[in-house]
Amino acid sequence: MSTERPDLTDLTDLSAAVRARGGELRAGGTDTGARQRSGVSTGPFTDLDGVADLRGTEPLPGGGLRIGALTTLAELAADPRVRAGWPALALAAGTAATPQIRAAGTLGGNLLQRNRCWYFRNPHISCLQKGGAGCPAREGDHHFGVVCGGGPCITPHPSTLATALLTYDAEAEIHDEAPRSVADLYGDGDRLHHADHLLLPYRVLTAVRLPAPLPGERAAYHRAISRAHAEWPLVEATARLALDGATVTHAAVAAGGVARVPLRLPEVETVLIGREATPGTLAAAAATVLTRCRPLPQTGYKTTLFRDTVLEALEQALDGAAR
Amino acid sequence: MEFEVNGVRRTVDVDGDPAAVDVVRDRLGLTGTKLVCAGGVCGACTIQVDGEPRVSCLTPAARLAGRRVTTAEGLSGHPVARAFAAEDALQCGYCTPGFVVEAAAFVERRRALHGTARPGREQIAEALAGHLCRCGAYEGIFRAVAAACAGDHDTAPTGSAPSGAGAAAVPRVEAPEKTDGSARYTTDLHPDGLLEGVIIRSPHAHAHVRSLEAGDLPLVPLLPPDGVVRYVGQPVAAVAGTDRAGARAAAARVTVDYEVLPAALDARLARTGEGPPVYEDKASRKRAPGSGETPQLVPARWRGNLRGPSAMSKRPAVAVRRIQEARTKYPERVVEGVFTTAAQTHTPLEPHACLAHWADGTLHLQVSTQSVKAVAELAAERFGLPAERVVARAVHVGGGFGCKMGLTTDVVAAAELARLHGAPVRVVLDRDEELTDGGYRPASRIRLAMTVDAAGDLSALAMDADSDGGVSVGGTVAALARFMYGKAPRRLRDFDTVTHRPPGAPFRGPGGPTMCWALEQAVDEMAHRLGQDPIALRRRWDGNPKRHALYDHAAALPLWSGRRGGTGRFRRGVGVAAANWLYLLDPVTEVELAVEDGIVVARCAVQDMGTGSRTVLRRAVADALGLHEARVRAEIGHSDTVHGPTSGGSRTTPSLVPAAADAAARLREALGGSDVAARLDAAHGVRVTGRRPRDHRGFALPFTLGGVAVGRGFTGSVQVAEVEVDTRLGRIRPLRVWSGIAAGRIHEDRLARSQCEGAVVQGIGYALYEERRTDPVTGRVLTDNLEDYRIPGIGDTPEITVHFHQEGFDHVPGGGVGLGEIATLPTAACLANAVHDATGWRPYDMPIRPDRLLEGLGT
Repeated sequence: MSTERPDLTDLTDLSAAVRARGGELRAGGTDTGARQRSGVSTGPFTDLDGVADLRGTEPLPGGGLRIGALTTLAELAADPRVRAGWPALALAAGTAATPQIRAAGTLGGNLLQRNRCWYFRNPHISCLQKGGAGCPAREGDHHFGVVCGGGPCITPHPSTLATALLTYDAEAEIHDEAPRSVADLYGDGDRLHHADHLLLPYRVLTAVRLPAPLPGERAAYHRAISRAHAEWPLVEATARLALDGATVTHAAVAAGGVARVPLRLPEVETVLIGREATPGTLAAAAATVLTRCRPLPQTGYKTTLFRDTVLEALEQALDGAAR
Repeated sequence: MEFEVNGVRRTVDVDGDPAAVDVVRDRLGLTGTKLVCAGGVCGACTIQVDGEPRVSCLTPAARLAGRRVTTAEGLSGHPVARAFAAEDALQCGYCTPGFVVEAAAFVERRRALHGTARPGREQIAEALAGHLCRCGAYEGIFRAVAAACAGDHDTAPTGSAPSGAGAAAVPRVEAPEKTDGSARYTTDLHPDGLLEGVIIRSPHAHAHVRSLEAGDLPLVPLLPPDGVVRYVGQPVAAVAGTDRAGARAAAARVTVDYEVLPAALDARLARTGEGPPVYEDKASRKRAPGSGETPQLVPARWRGNLRGPSAMSKRPAVAVRRIQEARTKYPERVVEGVFTTAAQTHTPLEPHACLAHWADGTLHLQVSTQSVKAVAELAAERFGLPAERVVARAVHVGGGFGCKMGLTTDVVAAAELARLHGAPVRVVLDRDEELTDGGYRPASRIRLAMTVDAAGDLSALAMDADSDGGVSVGGTVAALARFMYGKAPRRLRDFDTVTHRPPGAPFRGPGGPTMCWALEQAVDEMAHRLGQDPIALRRRWDGNPKRHALYDHAAALPLWSGRRGGTGRFRRGVGVAAANWLYLLDPVTEVELAVEDGIVVARCAVQDMGTGSRTVLRRAVADALGLHEARVRAEIGHSDTVHGPTSGGSRTTPSLVPAAADAAARLREALGGSDVAARLDAAHGVRVTGRRPRDHRGFALPFTLGGVAVGRGFTGSVQVAEVEVDTRLGRIRPLRVWSGIAAGRIHEDRLARSQCEGAVVQGIGYALYEERRTDPVTGRVLTDNLEDYRIPGIGDTPEITVHFHQEGFDHVPGGGVGLGEIATLPTAACLANAVHDATGWRPYDMPIRPDRLLEGLGT
């Protein structure tokens, strides 16, 4: 093995190259490219696209699905198996960004991308995420900041696919490391001052494993934005419901745009499970997120928007169930 | 690395990990691929990789190895490229190649699946969601993509023109070059030996530059005479290198010693006059840049950082007394409120750019400008040259909207660097520079009060407007309310709240959409107060006969009487707003006609930034001479020909068309009258110059203001908009907009409609999305990219119907005046009134973001 000329098809070699020379791994390049051009991130970037077997979906025994980390968002959105069994993931993948970005951006890259804070993304500004001393957004303009959790970094996590994967209790496979739950890629956010995930820079997320869908389950994904398309969400939510008649037997709900990490929302699920899925129940369930909210001076609007985006996802999921 | 580009094998090295756009554009010279946002947002750099669209700015070049790449150049003659030209799906054309590359893939995919079925707007919008067009030519794009899907442009039109196949089938002269990427903009030029210049900018909002050290490095200082920088991003100096990286490295070698000073960053403080003074003395105040068309036309008092008032009042004491009386006696007859507007950044997709070189004592400028003549004149003045020693070229200009006038920093830096280095030097602003220092429509805070008499007629109006344009002054917002709604007494005062932030610049109808936001919402409120139809009330107050015709038309629209309101989650509303604007012209405009090889070449030092002046000129000449348009060539964008107008103040068409008609009459006479077409072949070398004649009974003012004459009569517009409001998640969807425009005779119908449609799109951006935000602590612009600075996309475009009322300008030769500005004035207010109609909540603050709407609705 040589770090100068790593074998571009070998994960161990590529990982070692990043360990030796620093920089970042690169999947689709849609996030790294922007940071590279602006000068926020200097690389070097070690490409994963030469590695075989990181792309595509494969059924698992027991009805689950394994998705290679380099599978693009466009492929996820169009994959008949994903659409049938894990529709919230397909919907989330098909709603994010723009058609060109979805065609290049990958599952792994989406989960491990850097945040969109305009202070972080500005090469002229120092911040915690770039090794600086403090968070300029806190005293500055944090209109798009978090509404849950107090920092020290106050920018929401950018991964749309993570909110969907959380509701599916998905597991991430990591090269040379034990698999961990998608939730454990991020923890509770307290340790994400200098990063947007907990993996070491040279670790390669190789695939995501989805458990088998529940019989008759339906799901929805919704994002609150101001324009029609192509905008990072103010709040986004995923809901997954299984019903027996009108009674909710299983619920999994998650949200993004609200906290340093994508959030699973057990409080919402608890209200739903075992109850009839009436409009009142859905509203009561969605309203439980309010107790989580600790708005910053400029993100007060996200409290009710958080609740109502969750409600929207629940209603859409239920409508799907009725179809 | 080997790959195939447009069917040709190419080998390039990818050392240094360049992006695909750098290889395709800079190394292979395929400049149809434009670099605009550099963040995958705007799609201008889209290429096809193995048939699939990719944003080449975020595609590592190494990923192209072994792949098949197609650029706009490779789609020349493709039905989609033809459709874009034929349906006029463009204005400035800078975003067009990217749209064509994406749309070609969409159309091919769709036709493989669905044959020639015409897609709906939503399907097209989703497919093109990754593209932005700042001109707002989305209606044409919808049309072109649908037509291409239907197979309408599968074959090239034949036999329609005597020469230049298909030329006459294309409404816009240069559209074919703009759709296949062969139109060369300033940013696309790369002569041998070219150096790249970069600008070193201040990281401080307020500082005194003690020294500037560059060793033996050639450096152009760009500081004001007092050596004080007054905003983050202010140019300090410029240096050059053989490429951008080299120039950046050179810039890093320059040491600037800043003495950092306390900065005034809060416009609210400036309102009281407080804060560290931005301008200490008269001399520095005089140098303050202008945010309006004429910066400091009216002298005004300064109190600390508050400049003003400049007043355009009529019987102000009476107005104030009436409002005060009404407040106590008839409060139900008073409407008052504080309205705010956000700063709107021009962000033309071609940034400010200039390529300069000196040859034999002559300065040659290739520049992205909307005033090619003025740039040459100002450069001559600045560099102490005789006028004929500066030649400026602006053949294709990728948008302007008001921010590319005069001697901007890119021009000064390029010219000075070129002189220092004895080489051609190009300065092209990056998108973050463009969004920081490229200009913007100032934000504002407007206090308004109006009252009516017992009969319901307007009896008094008071408007105080603070323009928040950073270090710039000269905001004219309230002043524009002088010309609306009759002669009732009114106190109209404009102030500038000056801060250590980047300067505003004139933006399409300076002050107009801002003033309308307040006035037209207040009139709407009064109509509700009086229980009157908002169109009927306006018709009653407004004495303008041209607008009367538009009100009558608007009131009869099914849109106006359609379903409204509702109590559910999604509510519909319809709003109306009106506006007027000055008719300006350049009275010394000339057009030269020369017969060359059997065709008539029309020359004028005007430019086309997407507004269509090249096409208007060709049409005017062809019509006046009775020639087919293929026998006329309009050659514009050169300063070294007869005088032409700046493209600003809606003055281009009413300056150009009469001068062209005069020139045509002279040519006809020179050729012996009658059948000009028959005589052209034998008339090589004949040359005449026509002048802009005066209007019948002259102009409104006997003098010109900075070369601009004020003509008689106002243009008018009335717009009606329908929106759908999601009261749960706060999204406002513009559904339909009817835009009635009274600007006299329309000279180029298709292009004029496109202007008006784009004006509506920009107004939608102003009302709903666009918001320049600055860090309150440092004064740095945070919205310095196209992700955070949100301009409308194709999916935000309502169905737009444009109606022209063509009467009322018979005193103008040709019968028509300009409409670029009037068409955008009422849109934002019109949408606000529609939101009020839908929800009962009035949006005083712009943009009407989801959080504001939801807060207003109390959800």
